[in-house]
Amino acid sequence: MPPKGKAAPKPKGTENIKPSTSSSNSTSSPAAQQPTTSTSPSGNTPTAPSTIGERSQQRFHESRPFDAARQKLGLSGLSQAEQTGWVSSQLAARSSTSTGSSRRTTPRLGPKAQRELWRHVNDASLPIRTLKNKKSAPTPADVWGTDRAGQKIAGYSIARYEERAAKRTALTALQVTSRAFREARERAKRGLVVTRDHREQPIVLVESAKDVQEEKQRRRQMAALRRELYGEMTGEFRQDPEWDGVEPIPQVEPEAALATISYPEEYAEAISYLRAVMLQKEYSPRCLRLTDHIISMNAAHYTVWLYRAANVFALQLPIPDEIDWLNGVALANLKNYQIWHHRHLLVDNYYPTLASGPPSTLSRFADSEREFLSAILAHDTKNYHVWSYRSYLVSKLGLFDAAEIAAMAALIGDDVRNNSAWSHRFFVVFSDPRQSTPGTAATDADPAVPREVVDREAQYAMDKIYLAPQNQSAWNYLRGVLVKGGRGMRSVEGFVSEFVRGLGEGEEREDVLSTHALDLLAEICKEKGERERADLCLRRLGEKWDRIRVGYWEWRRRCLDDGQ
Amino acid sequence: MADSAAPGESEPSLNVEQHLKYWKRCLRSPLPHVYLGNEGNRMALAYFIINSISILSPPRTEPATGDQPKSPPLITSEERRRMREWVLAHQHPGGGFSGTSSLVFPLHDYEEWDFDADAPTQEGSGLANIAATLFALQLLALLVDDEEDEETAEGAFRGVDRVQTLRWLKKLQRPDGSFGEVLMKMPGHGWFIGGGYDMRYCYIAAAVRWMLRGDVQQGQPGWVEDFDTVGFTKYILRSQTYDGGFAGSSQDEPHAGYAYCAISALSLLDRPLEGSPALHPSKILRVGIRSMPALTHWLASRQFVYLEPPATQNEEEEDDPVNFLLPSSLDDLALDDKLQHFAFNGRCNKVADTCYCWWVCAALANLGCMDAMVQRGPSRRFLLDKMQHMIGGFGKYPGSPPDLYHGCFGLMILGVMGESGIREVDSALAVPVETVKRMEKARRGLLRRAGEEGKPGAFGREMVELGLELCGERPGWLVAVGR
Repeated sequence: MPPKGKAAPKPKGTENIKPSTSSSNSTSSPAAQQPTTSTSPSGNTPTAPSTIGERSQQRFHESRPFDAARQKLGLSGLSQAEQTGWVSSQLAARSSTSTGSSRRTTPRLGPKAQRELWRHVNDASLPIRTLKNKKSAPTPADVWGTDRAGQKIAGYSIARYEERAAKRTALTALQVTSRAFREARERAKRGLVVTRDHREQPIVLVESAKDVQEEKQRRRQMAALRRELYGEMTGEFRQDPEWDGVEPIPQVEPEAALATISYPEEYAEAISYLRAVMLQKEYSPRCLRLTDHIISMNAAHYTVWLYRAANVFALQLPIPDEIDWLNGVALANLKNYQIWHHRHLLVDNYYPTLASGPPSTLSRFADSEREFLSAILAHDTKNYHVWSYRSYLVSKLGLFDAAEIAAMAALIGDDVRNNSAWSHRFFVVFSDPRQSTPGTAATDADPAVPREVVDREAQYAMDKIYLAPQNQSAWNYLRGVLVKGGRGMRSVEGFVSEFVRGLGEGEEREDVLSTHALDLLAEICKEKGERERADLCLRRLGEKWDRIRVGYWEWRRRCLDDGQ
Repeated sequence: MADSAAPGESEPSLNVEQHLKYWKRCLRSPLPHVYLGNEGNRMALAYFIINSISILSPPRTEPATGDQPKSPPLITSEERRRMREWVLAHQHPGGGFSGTSSLVFPLHDYEEWDFDADAPTQEGSGLANIAATLFALQLLALLVDDEEDEETAEGAFRGVDRVQTLRWLKKLQRPDGSFGEVLMKMPGHGWFIGGGYDMRYCYIAAAVRWMLRGDVQQGQPGWVEDFDTVGFTKYILRSQTYDGGFAGSSQDEPHAGYAYCAISALSLLDRPLEGSPALHPSKILRVGIRSMPALTHWLASRQFVYLEPPATQNEEEEDDPVNFLLPSSLDDLALDDKLQHFAFNGRCNKVADTCYCWWVCAALANLGCMDAMVQRGPSRRFLLDKMQHMIGGFGKYPGSPPDLYHGCFGLMILGVMGESGIREVDSALAVPVETVKRMEKARRGLLRRAGEEGKPGAFGREMVELGLELCGERPGWLVAVGR
């Protein structure tokens, strides 16, 4: 038998009969296996519990004195005093918790025995309630369950547990306040307010921005608490009072869905709200912000862009503001196509306003657009979408001017092989309505183009060819200019011949500085009816100077015979 | 063909197994986050995956020899059935298909749709997209590819609302003959055709028309008014640029992708409905192009000799996407005897990219010039040596990791060039030649059913019937089931 616990846990306890709740010298006993070390090995002072599991265990045993000892030694193994104590505590607990059924099974004590019992209970300061063991929790510590990380809450320190409890209380308080906010908003919608005597009275209630801000803050706190306490993720939109009343439509994928993409929860949530507002055809500032949010995650979703445009038009937002916003997005997404299409749409819409205003409005806008285009082309001088937009802008605003040509000259000056700039220059020069026939195909001659323009452009191309004879951009441009001007290729024979020497005069003497010159020379010869020399040019291209295209040059030779 | 392989060097081979491994991974597991930008075009990604697997699959005509057990199919017929369901779920009640599941709404949200109306009376269109519609049709044909019996093959387009889709297609055409990609109600603008001036939409319109319209005469059941093919042709022909190429309009820079689309669109416009290869004597193409010599000149000029970057790579592998150099002077190249790798660019003076092998070579193939103007050996060698990735698939640039888009285009052009061990690819419809035959049968099936029913409003019943056939019950999530 273990030594009797002399030190009662409670100061006014009857020391002589207080059992030891620890069976410190028989570690194999079931009681010892329980994580109860409510008394120190010396058996005298109970250790303060370090975890809430331990605390539960201690409390459990404190409410059941003598139990451990009885279980171990049997009732008869207890001393007389202990036996009395045990019986008293049993009876006291029974009678204090007795319900209908237990009352029937509990033997009734006579008045004298009752008095005796209570006196004893009082003297020994016995617990009059017994903590019950739950079926689902094999030990008292198990009632706490696990947290979201799968950790046993029983293992929490007291301080940690108290902190958690405080957070739960805080969450509840926040929820109550948040509910009040929603209800107030609901009533405000109906135009009702609750008076002090709990009656609803009609009133116009204006929700202040401060209220909304506070609610936002509140929901952020709630979301943080929920995530921390229960691992629940609350999306950004759920937290935002602005989105109350929109029921998101989450996407459901069948099992055999193809090309599923793993994307963040944040994107999925935003899309589920987009689906909801698109279906409702809602156009509002919040929808505009929603598109901004989605575009920041995926700038290539064409539907989002169209929906954004719909919002801009429905809300009649100032186009310059939208363009300002778009500039930032464009710089962040250099390769994006949708951004430029959106800009195109905006300008299409803005144009009537521009055109009806004083000329300075339009020219100011044109300048700012060109400034931005220069900035974005500095990142990628051949960005196809930017160039497409630029040609649209020129035709829409009529920017066939010296500034545009100078801008191209600057770009070609930087990189003589920038074919995008060459292309744009051709368009600006030869589609200028003041000096061209509208609707003429790019590949056709146009008599409306002034002679000096053709001369100037041909000379420009030739100057650039001297800089880089193998640059096809400049050669293509030269050919295009000659066709536009209705001039034969033969008009540049002298120039072309500078790049081809000693053709057909043997390996030693033949020198070709540009395959494009030799190619053009073949054209010139054909034009002049010099079939044999044309054939020689093409043959030498395939044999030596441009062997990669030997099949093409051979085909061209056959075309000479076909009379094409 | 003058293939100038360096003596003693063995030709590289297409590692079919490795490519299949790559594509099976794309099929079986969710695509990584880098594809988020394509979330709006999942139908395109699905097409790349299924098309590539189809090209890599052994030809179905191969008879099982003796009692050698047949290897299990890459995609079981049950999976095909469910994938077709997924594709069909993207069909919009107003015609066309949506590009992504995030634009597919639960059935009840379409309840106010007027199925029989000639024009959609409700807002909420703008969900069907022209590109997604082509990819969906291609997928439906690809996903019955391995079926044995003819009856099933005729049903490849079963569930497609042919009439509504063709009407919707017509509405996407702009007055100038060009096409947009979506039709939606824009506040203050009424019905609005969204999308840029993009030659791709024209190509797609011609392909969808070829697949669905057929030769039904006016007054017969199943007849649908054609879009304006004259305006369409004029628009395309006007878009030839001064240097011979094609762009979204003649005021833009020509681009190989647009050149392919322009050529293929014109070619599909008068392609015979049955039994014709991609190359056929297209009158529109031959007579229409303003300057054919300039066009072939421009296309042929897209080839260049690929040069290895100088050997400065003692450092760690760099992430620089342009990890190769363009020749500083082609003159030097002309004298070089080791012409080994021929690359293609999409615009003059731009860099090589796998997809331009497809856009340029397939465009030449549709003109009947590929064999004459492209040297197969060095072009193939460039793809296999420089663009093929060791984990399978093709990258955009030499050394780039593979991606769905370039992986598929690399395989397709090899399929057009007649690579052994993979299926032959149709250079205009961008699927295996066998799949084109399925499309023809599927069109026949659609027209036959249209003749039997004769009513455009039969779509709803068709879908329910299909659902019953597929699932044994009316599938609740199937979007476009009529009432």
